[in-house]
Amino acid sequence: MTSTTLRSATTSRARVSTFTLKLAMAVTGWLFALFAAVHMYGNLKAWFGADAYNGYAHWLHNALYPLLPRDGLLWIMRIVLAVALVVHVVASLVLYLRGRRARGRFRRRGHNRWAAATMPWTGLLLLAFLTFHILDLTLGIAGAAEYRAATADESFAYQNTVASMGRPLAGAAYLLAMLVLLVHLVHGLWSSATEFGLTGRRTRKAWKVIAYVLAIGITVGNLTLPIGVWTGLL
Amino acid sequence: MKLTVEVWRQESPADAGRWERHEVDDAASHLSLLDLLDLLNDQIAAAGGEPVAYESDCREGACGACGVTVNGVPHGPVPRTPSCRQHLRSFDGATRLRIEPLRSAAFPVVRDLVIDRSALDALVTAGGHVAINSGTASDAEALPIGHDDAETALDFAACIGCGACVAACPNGAAHLFAGAKLAHLAMLPQPALERGRRARAIVDELEQRFGPCSTYGECAEVCPAGISLAAVAAVHREGIRAWWRGRDD
Repeated sequence: MTSTTLRSATTSRARVSTFTLKLAMAVTGWLFALFAAVHMYGNLKAWFGADAYNGYAHWLHNALYPLLPRDGLLWIMRIVLAVALVVHVVASLVLYLRGRRARGRFRRRGHNRWAAATMPWTGLLLLAFLTFHILDLTLGIAGAAEYRAATADESFAYQNTVASMGRPLAGAAYLLAMLVLLVHLVHGLWSSATEFGLTGRRTRKAWKVIAYVLAIGITVGNLTLPIGVWTGLL
Repeated sequence: MKLTVEVWRQESPADAGRWERHEVDDAASHLSLLDLLDLLNDQIAAAGGEPVAYESDCREGACGACGVTVNGVPHGPVPRTPSCRQHLRSFDGATRLRIEPLRSAAFPVVRDLVIDRSALDALVTAGGHVAINSGTASDAEALPIGHDDAETALDFAACIGCGACVAACPNGAAHLFAGAKLAHLAMLPQPALERGRRARAIVDELEQRFGPCSTYGECAEVCPAGISLAAVAAVHREGIRAWWRGRDD
């Protein structure tokens, strides 16, 4: 057996294992999905009026005060999510390159698994959208002209959101990003069954249902906002 | 039926390889892919050329020797069927076939359509076997195994080692193969005594030679043994379990 030549042909030993990287991607991916679900739930408060939405935003800034400083909860979430993002993106890059190398010169073509195949690209689009989203509604740098930052006493999240999505280009970006998120989430959440080692027939079926329900729920819930703004309901 | 066959020709592992085009005039619809290659080779030999090297043994789907890639799909267009059991009649009237070896960096081409699948052997050597000293043969039914467990274990043991799962994977992963071994052996009482050790050994070997699994699901689509896609998850199930327990069993 030509084991030594084969081994050196594929990979070297000093590295973080593919096993660990895949597991890290699954855990961080779920973290984003759960965050996105909570975020979507918060977004739905827009349908209960500007006060409900702004009140929720204001509460987020002051949650657990005085146990935590003001913005404490937000900063904890930002740091955890930022670390998770770095892990998720770096792991995906390493795994992408390992996959290409293990496949070799002749690429696999002719399959129709486009959701799986486009994971790196939907991921990059989401990264671009995330950057815009933070610049738009957290920092206001790319926000609508009438953007107003939160003060110690009140938040203007509702007005900022409606103004931002009222801009055709920004609104389209939100719409498109949600469709990309749907594809990324459906495959990512379903695929995590592999990383979490779920082999049972019923477990895998249930996992697939959870993946679809969560992905579609997050996407549709979020999409009601730009659609609500365009139709004048918000 | 007139067929245009483009076949991969490669002198040696070091050779870059090239496509060679042939017209086969009397390809009857009942021919299998291997029959077609035989017919093509007769034609090439009659013209004084060197026949196309390809591997085959049982020609009934049991041995796993014959996998080739047809029009980009390992084993050919019929799902979950080995190359030897794929017949021209099922190809939807295709008039052009591109036949090449199973592709993966782990499977170097030996010659033409013949590949070196030693990387799969390495997985079996690492842990795809039972190395328990069980003493003298025990009484049958001394270790009862439920019918469902026995059937499920047997389903995972059905792998014929053809390597199509690896060739179908855009990432060159062998999770279906390795997971089938792990899932099969984890369910049976004697092999389960070295369950943890086996998982670590196979996962480690898998790391060294193959790519990451992205759950494309293409592997299960081409598997002639019908191994369920759930096998890919057995790699992490067994790996996580072994890591958590930190023991040999």
